[in-house]
Amino acid sequence: MDIPYTVHARPDTGLYNAKIGIWLFLASEVMLFGGLFSAYIFLRVGADYPWPVHDLDVTLGFINTVVLIASSVTVVMAWAMLKLRKFGWYRINMAITVICAGVFMFNKSLEYKAKFAHYAVKLTDGTMLTGHLPHGYQVKFEGATEFNLSVPLKTSAVTADPIGHVLPFIEGTAPKFKTEGGQEITLDEASFKALSAEAVKKAAEAKKGTASIKLIATAPIKFAVKPSEIFAYTDTTITFRDGTTATGKLTDDKMTLEVDGVDARGVAQSEKSLAFDHRYLGEAWQKAFVENRDHHITKFEKDYPTRDKTRSATLQKESLFFKLNSAEAPAAGAAHGDAHGAEAHAPAGGHGDAHGHHPTVVLEKKDFTFFSNFTPKLNTYYAIYFTLTGLHGLHVIAGALVLLYFLAFDGKRLRQDPEHLANRVEVGGLFWHFVDLVWIFLFPLLYLL
Amino acid sequence: MADNIEAIQKSIKWYLVIGGILILASGATVWLSYVELPTHSLNILVGMILATIKATLVALIFMHLNHERSMIYKILLFTVVLAAVLFALFIFSHEDPLVFSGFYAPVEQQ
Repeated sequence: MDIPYTVHARPDTGLYNAKIGIWLFLASEVMLFGGLFSAYIFLRVGADYPWPVHDLDVTLGFINTVVLIASSVTVVMAWAMLKLRKFGWYRINMAITVICAGVFMFNKSLEYKAKFAHYAVKLTDGTMLTGHLPHGYQVKFEGATEFNLSVPLKTSAVTADPIGHVLPFIEGTAPKFKTEGGQEITLDEASFKALSAEAVKKAAEAKKGTASIKLIATAPIKFAVKPSEIFAYTDTTITFRDGTTATGKLTDDKMTLEVDGVDARGVAQSEKSLAFDHRYLGEAWQKAFVENRDHHITKFEKDYPTRDKTRSATLQKESLFFKLNSAEAPAAGAAHGDAHGAEAHAPAGGHGDAHGHHPTVVLEKKDFTFFSNFTPKLNTYYAIYFTLTGLHGLHVIAGALVLLYFLAFDGKRLRQDPEHLANRVEVGGLFWHFVDLVWIFLFPLLYLL
Repeated sequence: MADNIEAIQKSIKWYLVIGGILILASGATVWLSYVELPTHSLNILVGMILATIKATLVALIFMHLNHERSMIYKILLFTVVLAAVLFALFIFSHEDPLVFSGFYAPVEQQ
C-alpha cells in the first residue's frame, strides 16, 4: 500500500503529511527543551555559588555556532537545489551539512574531554583550587596483613568479594593467605568460594546471621586505591566496598595538584586564603594575587565610579578568581593580565620546572573537603551544562544520520521522484534548523552570560 | 509556499544573506557579553533579545514560517501558549503562590 500525500498536499490541510508530522514533533521538542531551559532558570536563581560566566571555551563555542549556522544554510540550499533539479549542487550542500555536524561533534568531544580531566578542590576555608591531578588521587596503605571478611547469610547488598574489591588495589602481586585452619591458599574465585561456603555452613550451624572469615597474608600488603573505590579509611584501618576490613598503616593520602586557578570568592579575607599558606602556594603567589585583585578593583572604580563594586559578578571573578599561568609567581608589576581575565603571565626568565606551566602543591587531606572533575558532581551548573549540551548533541547526531541517509541511500528516489525526496529533505531540514535554534539559546546561556 | 522556480531562485540569495546576518549577530552576542553593563541582568537581557531575534530569523526564513499554511500556525500557537505556561510555573516556585494569586495578603512585619 502506498502512503498517501507524500508528494502532493492533502486538500484539507494544504500540506503533505510528513510536514504536519514534523511540526507536531517539533512542538513536542519545544516542550522537552523548554522544560530543561526552565530547569536552568531554577538552578541559576537558586545557585549558592558564583554562577560560572565565560568559564567554558568561548572560542570553541563560537566556532561551533558558526559551523551550525553554516550547516543550516547548506541544508536549506540543498532543498532549494533539489527543487531546481540541480542534483550536483544538492549533493554538495548535503555533504557539507553532514561534515559540519561531524565538526560540531568533534569540537564538543574536545570540550568534554578537557572538562573530564580538569579538577576543582574545595579547601576548608571555602577557597576553590582548580587544576590537574597528574597522577590521579590515591590513598596509600601499607603493612596490611590481617583481613576480616563477612558474608551475611541473608541476601545483602554488602557481602565479601575480595576478588572484585580488595585484590585489584594491591600494589605488586598478591601474596598467599593463611586461613584460620592454618591452610595456605592463593586467593581466587574458586578458593574463596570454597572458603566462603565452609564459613557459611559453620555460621548456620552456630545459628549466626553472618559468617566471618579471617585471612592472614603471608607477607605485608601495600594498597593504592582511589577514595571512591573504598568505603572508608582511618590512620590504621581500611574498609573496602565489600565490607572487608584490614588493619595496617596509612602512608599517604595527600593530593598532588597542578594548580591553574585560585578562586577566593568564597573566602571572607581573600588574601588570607589557605591556598597561600607557606605549605602551598606561599607568599610570592599571595603577592601576585593581591596585586592582581587590587589592580582590577582600582580599574573598576576608575571606569565605573558610580557602581557598587560588591555587586559586579564580573569584577568579583576578575579580582578573586586568579589564574596561574606559570610555574613560579611572576615578578612584581607583571601580575595583572589583559582586559578579560585575571591572568598571571609567565615570568620572562623561564624556569626548569618539569611540569611547565603551573605550580604544583601537595594538599593535606585535612585541608580539603571536596574534590571533583568538572562534571555534574561539581555543581548544578555543570549538571545542567552536560544535560543540555548532551541532549543537544544527541539531536545533532540523529539529524546528521537522517540527512546522511537521504544523501547516501536515496539515490533511486533522486532519479525517479525528486519531488518526494525534496519533501523528505525539507522535513529533515526543519529538524536540523530546530537543532540550530536550540543552540542559538544554549550558546549565550552556557558560555557567555 | 515558495514552490515555483522563480520564488526559490530568489530565496537562495536570501538564505546566504540571513546566514551572514546570523554569524554577525553571534559575534555581536560574544562581544556584548564582555561589555560591563550596569547590572549583569542587563547583559543577560540583551543577550536573550539578540538570541530571540536570531531564532526568529531561522524560523521565518530557513523554516519557511513566513509563508506557511494555517494548520502549522495553529500547532505553533498551542506550543507557544504551553511553553509560556511552562516558564510561568517558575514564578509560582519563586513567589509564595498564595500571595501571588491574591489569595491572602501577608501581614506586615514589625
